[in-house]
Amino acid sequence: MPELAQPPARFREIARGKLLDAHVQGALDLSTGRLRSHRLEAWSALPDVEALRERAHAIRMEVIDDLEGHVARFTEALEARGGHVYFARTAAEASAYVAEVCRRRGAKLAAKSKSMASEEIGLNEALAAVGVQPVETDLGEYILQLAGEHPVHIVAPAIEKTAADVAELFSRVRGEQVPAELEALTLAARAQLRETFLQADVGITGVNFGVSATGSICICTNEGNGRLVSSVPPVHVAVMGMERLVPTTADLAVLLRLLARSGTGQKLTVYTTLITGPRLPGEHDGPEELHVVILDNGRTNLLRGRYREMLACIRCGACLNVCPVYRRTGGAAYGPVYSGPMGAVLLPLLVGLDRAPSLPHASSLCGACTEACPVKIPLHELLLDLRRDLVEERVAPWFERAVFALWSLAWSSVAGYRLTTRLARLGQPLAGLVGPGRAWASGRRLPRLRPRYRDRR
Amino acid sequence: MRGLVEEFAANAAAIGFHVHRGEGPEIDGAGVSTALYGLADTGSVVLASSVDEPRARSLLPDVHVSLLRQNRILPGLEELFEALGSELPSALAIVTGPSRSADIEQKLAVGVHGPREVHVVLLPPA
Amino acid sequence: MPTVQLFATCLGDLAFPDAVADAETLLRRAGFDVEFPGRQVCCGQPAFNAGHRSAARRVARTFARAFSRSAPIVAPSGSCATMASHYLPELLGVEPFDVWELSAFLVANGYRPLPRNAGRRVAYHDSCHMLRELKIADQPRRLLGGSGAELVPLERPDLCCGFGGTFSVRQPEVSLAMADDKLGGAEAAGTLVTADPGCLMHLAGRASRVGSRVRVVHLATALARGVGA
Repeated sequence: MPELAQPPARFREIARGKLLDAHVQGALDLSTGRLRSHRLEAWSALPDVEALRERAHAIRMEVIDDLEGHVARFTEALEARGGHVYFARTAAEASAYVAEVCRRRGAKLAAKSKSMASEEIGLNEALAAVGVQPVETDLGEYILQLAGEHPVHIVAPAIEKTAADVAELFSRVRGEQVPAELEALTLAARAQLRETFLQADVGITGVNFGVSATGSICICTNEGNGRLVSSVPPVHVAVMGMERLVPTTADLAVLLRLLARSGTGQKLTVYTTLITGPRLPGEHDGPEELHVVILDNGRTNLLRGRYREMLACIRCGACLNVCPVYRRTGGAAYGPVYSGPMGAVLLPLLVGLDRAPSLPHASSLCGACTEACPVKIPLHELLLDLRRDLVEERVAPWFERAVFALWSLAWSSVAGYRLTTRLARLGQPLAGLVGPGRAWASGRRLPRLRPRYRDRR
Repeated sequence: MRGLVEEFAANAAAIGFHVHRGEGPEIDGAGVSTALYGLADTGSVVLASSVDEPRARSLLPDVHVSLLRQNRILPGLEELFEALGSELPSALAIVTGPSRSADIEQKLAVGVHGPREVHVVLLPPA
Repeated sequence: MPTVQLFATCLGDLAFPDAVADAETLLRRAGFDVEFPGRQVCCGQPAFNAGHRSAARRVARTFARAFSRSAPIVAPSGSCATMASHYLPELLGVEPFDVWELSAFLVANGYRPLPRNAGRRVAYHDSCHMLRELKIADQPRRLLGGSGAELVPLERPDLCCGFGGTFSVRQPEVSLAMADDKLGGAEAAGTLVTADPGCLMHLAGRASRVGSRVRVVHLATALARGVGA
């Protein structure tokens, strides 16, 4: 499993580096700005986007309120259509199951279509360890795989790479110079990956939505790799976060109305595929075997608490595209899989607050994320709740708690307020030397404490 | 029905389909499929896998042609799923344009993995 | 004459007393008697937003002790008005207070600004609480326009300035980059007006450090004395 835990200093360290990289800054500004504008246009073209968001929220919460029931119904329905369903409690269980499917089929090559859940469990590493070569076929993921890097945006994973970067990577693979020009790069990718689709023993995808009533899985892509990966190889394995269910196809229609519009501004992604079981008798293609791995990996822990709404997330990326912090830091600062506001909320909940303590504070709490979320997750409120938990669970350092406690005691009366602010005025020259004063003064002039307003009246 | 057909034609053309009426293009090597439905609000063609319609036909060729009878055009997804009910094919593909990606510098690339050129031929009701 | 209670806010009281005085001036011009309940200290927001609820509660009690419910409470701060109206009652388990952000109060009471900014170009910065929680975006702009100012829209008015309370010192580099974006966007206008002392302290502090030509001014000052004051 990739290291999802984030040591306290890591966010700032990586952010610092990204801020100094002019190319990354330009790419992030351009891409997030564009995706955001497209979403706003698409939302404003809908007759009543607020009502749609409310409905979508209600559908997702309906599932969360009876997730066990929905998982059971999904399993029953898909098994009745000849599919295999495996419920994986942990990342290790999930990877082991997929590895076993591959082993049983003598598989050597796996073609993969983008799946955040598979990144979360470190599936590629697990497969490589048992002699199966996983090849990413989503263009952005393929580029990153060649570069040996992790995705930094859940919808536009290679958002920080230039055409020149890509040309260099492709040229290395082909052993000949590929020009840094879009048409050539596209043709190169198409040719390279076409072989993969045709030769792969196993196709591995994620799942955008599962439908519990029918046992169907819905996969949304623009490139066509999701369809190819789930149609050509003889075995299809789909990894699905357990919370990614909707009750019926009618509910699916509501979520599909919002997903692409919120992620990229499109009405629908080019390929919206609904798969219900392996190939039927008489069909000439399609997988002989369909396996859906339902992944828990900590999600059950969220089910009954204050954070259950986070399970409604449909991984559209809208929150990343409006976040003023993400816009400057990029995704790597948050971790190798989930980033931006949804990552800042989800990661501490999956790995434990003590293993990602800085993420809830990697935000100015501006609230843009909550405004942008198609399923109305109150992201900035959840971040505030996580900050509260950091204090109440004593993950926040003792001296931080002590400083706030002392400050609050002093400021619980006018007399205390007057005394401390008088001392602060006297100590002003020193303020820039230590702690928060120093962090402030590193880039800003400190505010001068004047004679108080109350004394001038 | 006419309103739906025109809405379909406009939206399909807008997202990159070549829209034909009555007669389809003669293109060597093109995959030709019979669409199960069309969706007017997005200009999508709905292809169901079956004994007669292998998945690869609409995936592997560079050019794909969908034959769509005008009376099979539905307003949108809600109506599609209502019409399908519980009779779902093993794979249902809702296709909305030619294959595309914006993963390289957020610039649009067409024909990445799926067909780079897509046609839909509107036919009169059977 | 009707009365209002002025909530200076801790930042206003300590670092921007002129802006608070300007707010009082505006309220008087609008036809109100202005009381300043002397026991006020702070709404507790700095601790609240940092997750320190007990500390926040202790300080927030000074607000409940200082202010009565007999007259509206007006604050020259979007974030403090949000804290006092939206979060403080639940935090303390008390009935809500009638708290107003300054510009919303002035417009609701039909105040017409004096033409102090005729011929001046200004950009207006929406602070996040005001924009998203109080949904006050129109009123400050109307008042500035009414004072004669030519409003030059920012390209990305939705972007946070980067203050965010403790965020400004936990992630100082990102916070400063966000400030630079905001100031850069305001260069065409030359003056940036904000209704929040937190944003003001952060943006003015940054502008001063980097020698930016952008003047950062509180809305109350812009309306009472003009951005050139």
